[in-house]
Amino acid sequence: MKKIVLAALLISSSLIAKEYIVDQKNKTFIPGVLNVKVGDTITFTNSDPLSHNAYTDDVGNEFDIGMQKKGVRKSVKIKKAGKFEIRCAIHPHMLIKVTATDK
Amino acid sequence: MQLFLLLFFTLSLYASEGEEIYKNACVSCHAIDGKSSNNLAFLVKPRKLSLTILRNQQSFAITKEGAHFWGAHSDIMPSFKYLLTDKQIHSVTDYISKTFNPNIEKKIAKLMQSSQQLTLLQRENRLQLGEKIFKKTCALCHGIKGDAKSEYVSASKENKTFIYPYNLTRTLLDEEQIFLYAKYGGLYWGTQKDNMQSWSSRYNDVALKSVAYYIQQKIKKLD
Repeated sequence: MKKIVLAALLISSSLIAKEYIVDQKNKTFIPGVLNVKVGDTITFTNSDPLSHNAYTDDVGNEFDIGMQKKGVRKSVKIKKAGKFEIRCAIHPHMLIKVTATDK
Repeated sequence: MQLFLLLFFTLSLYASEGEEIYKNACVSCHAIDGKSSNNLAFLVKPRKLSLTILRNQQSFAITKEGAHFWGAHSDIMPSFKYLLTDKQIHSVTDYISKTFNPNIEKKIAKLMQSSQQLTLLQRENRLQLGEKIFKKTCALCHGIKGDAKSEYVSASKENKTFIYPYNLTRTLLDEEQIFLYAKYGGLYWGTQKDNMQSWSSRYNDVALKSVAYYIQQKIKKLD
């Protein structure tokens, strides 16, 4: 019985979506590379005094969090597997390379 | 021969008048070498005249009307039209162009030549592509109408980072210059702040030329 419960727990924990925190600091996304699964969440925080943004045009995962002021948290959910980029529309060098896989 | 000497003498006087005016009116901000490396530079952040993208006639227009008239937020670069005659302004901008930035036309031509050329199809679609990119990225700072009124500018006052983008409806840059300014960024063209960054890592030449075309066609109100 214990083994069954343990196995169930292990399976369910692998199915639970994770949250990845990406900070925006010194005009850089930290981390700049993410390996996620479909259903996971990326939460953007902003430690810079100036405002930022995060968006992607990747088909199936499109989002644009709009202007993000310091201290504000905004989250998006990964909907589709694939490789894509997330950028800040205000600061051209800011980039995250994302690899999303199916669960 | 006499006519030649007279012409040479007149031109020399004209040039020296420009230099004289520059030393009296411009040096305090732009410095003797045009590189803005003086004591006031840290306060007023004047442009480095040795790197400016402006052509001679555009320098004349800026000097005459002041930078605010042409879209700058502030009037730190003031209008000189009440202090100097058109002839005097011409002489000083001639001096600036010849002394600090004599090869700007060649530089612009060379950079344009080495940039990616648009195909016929890309030329036909550039307005739509330019509009899309402008609204996605440029508008965040410059405003959807290009008039420098945006949520980001308002936020920068709240968080005291103070961003003052150009009012693009009034810019005197032409389409080629807008493209080159967006491609290489403000520092490359002599600003001392990195607010207008180089967009070459984000967009290719086709995209940036499309944005420049959109700004030229739909945003600029002065020509």
